[in-house]
Amino acid sequence: MTNALLARFIPEARDLLQSSASGLLRLEKNPTDATAINEVFRAVHTLKGSSGLFDAMALTRLVHAAEDLLGEVRSAKRELDSDLVDMLLDSLDQVSAWIDDLERHERLPADADRVCKDVVTRLRAHCTQTEAAASDTGPVAGGAPAADLGWIADLPECDRIAVFGRACRGHPVVAARYRPVASCFYSGEDPFNLVLQVPELGALRVAPPAPWPHIGDLDPYQCNLEFFLLSNGARVEIEHLFRYVSEQVEIEQIQADALIRITGDHHAAPVHEDFADEARALVAAQDWAALRDATAALLRLTNPDLRNAAALRWLAAVLDAPFPNPAWASALIEVIAAGGVPALGAPPSEPLRPVLTTVAAGADPIREADPSNACSDDSLQRRIIAAQRQILAAASDADRVRRHAPAVVQILAGLARVEGDDRRAADVAAAGEVAETDGTTSMLLALVDRWLATDTVVDDLSDEAPSRVQPDSADAARATETGVPTKPDSAREERSAAARMLKVDQAKIDLLMNLIGELVVSKNSLPFLARRAEQVHGSREMAREIKDQYAVIDRLTQEMQGAIMQVRMLPVSEVFDRFPRLVRDLARKLSKKIELVIEGEDTAADKTIIEALGDPLLHIVRNALDHGIEPPADRAQAGKPDHATLLMKAFQEADQVVIEVTDDGRGIDPDKVRAAAIAKGVVSAAEAAQLSDQAATELIFRPGFSTAAQVSDLSGRGVGLDVALTTVEKLGGRVGVTSRRGMGTTVRIGLPLSMAVTRVMVVGVADELYGIPMDVIAETVRVPRRRVKMIKQSPAFVLRNTVVPLLRLSRALGCAERVADDDVDEAVLVCRIGGNPIGLVVDSFREGMDVILKPFEGVLAGMPGFAGTALLGDGHVLLVLDLKELL
Amino acid sequence: MPLRFDEGNVVFEGACMVEEALGLAEHWRAVPPGIADLSACTYLHTALVQVIAAAAPAEVVAPADPRLAHWIMPVLSPAALPGRSRS
Repeated sequence: MTNALLARFIPEARDLLQSSASGLLRLEKNPTDATAINEVFRAVHTLKGSSGLFDAMALTRLVHAAEDLLGEVRSAKRELDSDLVDMLLDSLDQVSAWIDDLERHERLPADADRVCKDVVTRLRAHCTQTEAAASDTGPVAGGAPAADLGWIADLPECDRIAVFGRACRGHPVVAARYRPVASCFYSGEDPFNLVLQVPELGALRVAPPAPWPHIGDLDPYQCNLEFFLLSNGARVEIEHLFRYVSEQVEIEQIQADALIRITGDHHAAPVHEDFADEARALVAAQDWAALRDATAALLRLTNPDLRNAAALRWLAAVLDAPFPNPAWASALIEVIAAGGVPALGAPPSEPLRPVLTTVAAGADPIREADPSNACSDDSLQRRIIAAQRQILAAASDADRVRRHAPAVVQILAGLARVEGDDRRAADVAAAGEVAETDGTTSMLLALVDRWLATDTVVDDLSDEAPSRVQPDSADAARATETGVPTKPDSAREERSAAARMLKVDQAKIDLLMNLIGELVVSKNSLPFLARRAEQVHGSREMAREIKDQYAVIDRLTQEMQGAIMQVRMLPVSEVFDRFPRLVRDLARKLSKKIELVIEGEDTAADKTIIEALGDPLLHIVRNALDHGIEPPADRAQAGKPDHATLLMKAFQEADQVVIEVTDDGRGIDPDKVRAAAIAKGVVSAAEAAQLSDQAATELIFRPGFSTAAQVSDLSGRGVGLDVALTTVEKLGGRVGVTSRRGMGTTVRIGLPLSMAVTRVMVVGVADELYGIPMDVIAETVRVPRRRVKMIKQSPAFVLRNTVVPLLRLSRALGCAERVADDDVDEAVLVCRIGGNPIGLVVDSFREGMDVILKPFEGVLAGMPGFAGTALLGDGHVLLVLDLKELL
Repeated sequence: MPLRFDEGNVVFEGACMVEEALGLAEHWRAVPPGIADLSACTYLHTALVQVIAAAAPAEVVAPADPRLAHWIMPVLSPAALPGRSRS
């Protein structure tokens, strides 16, 4: 699967489906189980949310409907009975089947919109609240195909005849009725132009459901139009076009004869009765050319407004088909003779093609058989297809091809439709057009060969299991019976083969990692052992062997450590993937033109870090879009390209993963930030005045800053950049911002690559060793005592023109102080805590090292000031300080 | 400006989007609708289609784009609603 996001969504969706199904079952046993309903609701809600990322509209809509229903159950508006549970479970099964489809084909099956509509209709029928809203938004199809198509008669006759003519040449006929909701303009819809995009649009009537008010009372932003249309395009394509408004549209594939509606004044003249007698005979003799001439002649004599003229026009249209349908012709002749409604529509008996003589006997049963039976006639179908192939292959010159192609196309298209394969039918029609115009059969032949090839495979299968024929169509058949397709068997087989991915509880990985950590530490005791062997037991050889073994274990543990880190490492694309869509949607909402550039998405970091990055980045990106990037007009004034660029860049820098979000917007104005911060009481006016521009810019990260005056739809909803900062700092990272007025802003997040190993600096204080996390340490300096000044009661010293307060770590830890010796310089560790420098006086600096930090447990858990402990190679326990808490 | 007003006559040019609808309706409220000239119009938003259909101007000049003209004219010219289409 190429789409990594989808690949992750699929197992997740299966889990969610699984947990909602089991929750539903628990609920059924105990309807008052609040935990269960919440769990189900949460699962369905999450599924809805994440499915929205993919082109799976039908799935999202279905899940949404289920969620609404569950919402009612949760708020106790509705009781959950077994019927409801059944229905919900059925819907979940449907979703599950679609998930399988997504996994195999990365898209939903062609009939998804239709199935979704049926299921949603049933769910909505149960749903009290939304039903009222839905019913006035437009006609909700009852799922039954018996929609009222009476409106077809209102379409212009000439258009209908044109559509009919194409239908007789193997194209499908789709009738659609689209009633946009009155408020559709507000959601950015443009119904008329949507309708104009219908493929092969053949006839259109637009009517206001309510009469037009006087122009003075007209509300131009209320849609008052209804669209009725016919098309020769494929139904799936039309459904796809209308997928966002599928509740407002009824789409039906209809038989060509449904277009024959005769209107006009009834007035039968004797000449018409004579014509009818003659015509009956010609139909019986199948002398279409003569009948065509007779019809044309009579039509010239008949007043075009008469009903019979209309009937004659239709008769001409029927006869224009490459192979006129005798039933339709007869019905129309009877109308001409006696008036009334043409007796059409009953069994859609299309005429047999002369070329079909070899298999003629079998043709009708297939055409009329319902799809589930059609499969059992598989071999017959193959014979028909093979016969068409022969005809095509035999057609040597272009003329013959042109003559035979329409019939072949019609048969093939008919077969495809019987199989429920609209796409193939459309392909056939397209290939047929090429054959008819160019006189070449290569495209059609290729199509037929492909078809035969797929069916051959099926034949092999059906030899072993006679009842199981072509899985797809059998499933489709079951699907049409139940409305909910069952899971295709083939999907299950494929999945068992594809299930290479192992899903492991994170706790197990953590345990493994801890064990490896222990191994690293215990391995470090081997050099000590070697030394002991040599010094205490006096065996150099033993010592050397131990050292040899140590080298091997050392290498292995390092590899193990690397491997387990790899397990936890995820690429940054994990979080970046959601942004293209987000940026696009926000840009549209804000009417800004923004191009998102993502760099370095392969950069990997620990899972915990990647997962925690999502929210901070979201806030930062939103801020950049909302506040940073100017509207196109302002950009034009500033002489910038109207497309703004937002760059998200990830890269590795030393042991940090750095993520930068850069926009080329207006930048941050430190003065404005100062003013806003003062207004919001974040800082006092005096403080603000003292801040450097850079420091003022960083005020945007202060809690309380990102509210009020800059609230917009997107950012400033009370959760702002301070959240981003807190989250990142909690992970041991840093956030910085640089901005140039008018040029743009860069927010930089630096995070440790891995949480597993903490780098600490070991310092000695009062004969004890302590670890201090490296990320708070700015530098180490030695300060001569005389440079330590007392400011009031507090010692401090000047470091590069900055006053750094001094603090004795021994005092903070409550240890005995070393006797001061004026000649010795103070060892000072300069740390940054909350952005402010502070100097820690320690007794000695030791080395920096990687340790596996273990938090305190049990009775020690509450000890303030300590981040945890780490085991040193010689078996000592190192206490690691949490300076923020300690000071 | 995709819409140009000249008394009751309105010339539509290029892509005429939804924002123009209110202005057009208000214009024809003030001045009785004259000729709606769509000959230079390439795209007409549904909201504008509605205003023209409701205002029923004396004459509608068809867009140059034959496809657009074919489908839009029956909706716009007053005779088309709803009579003409019933055959």
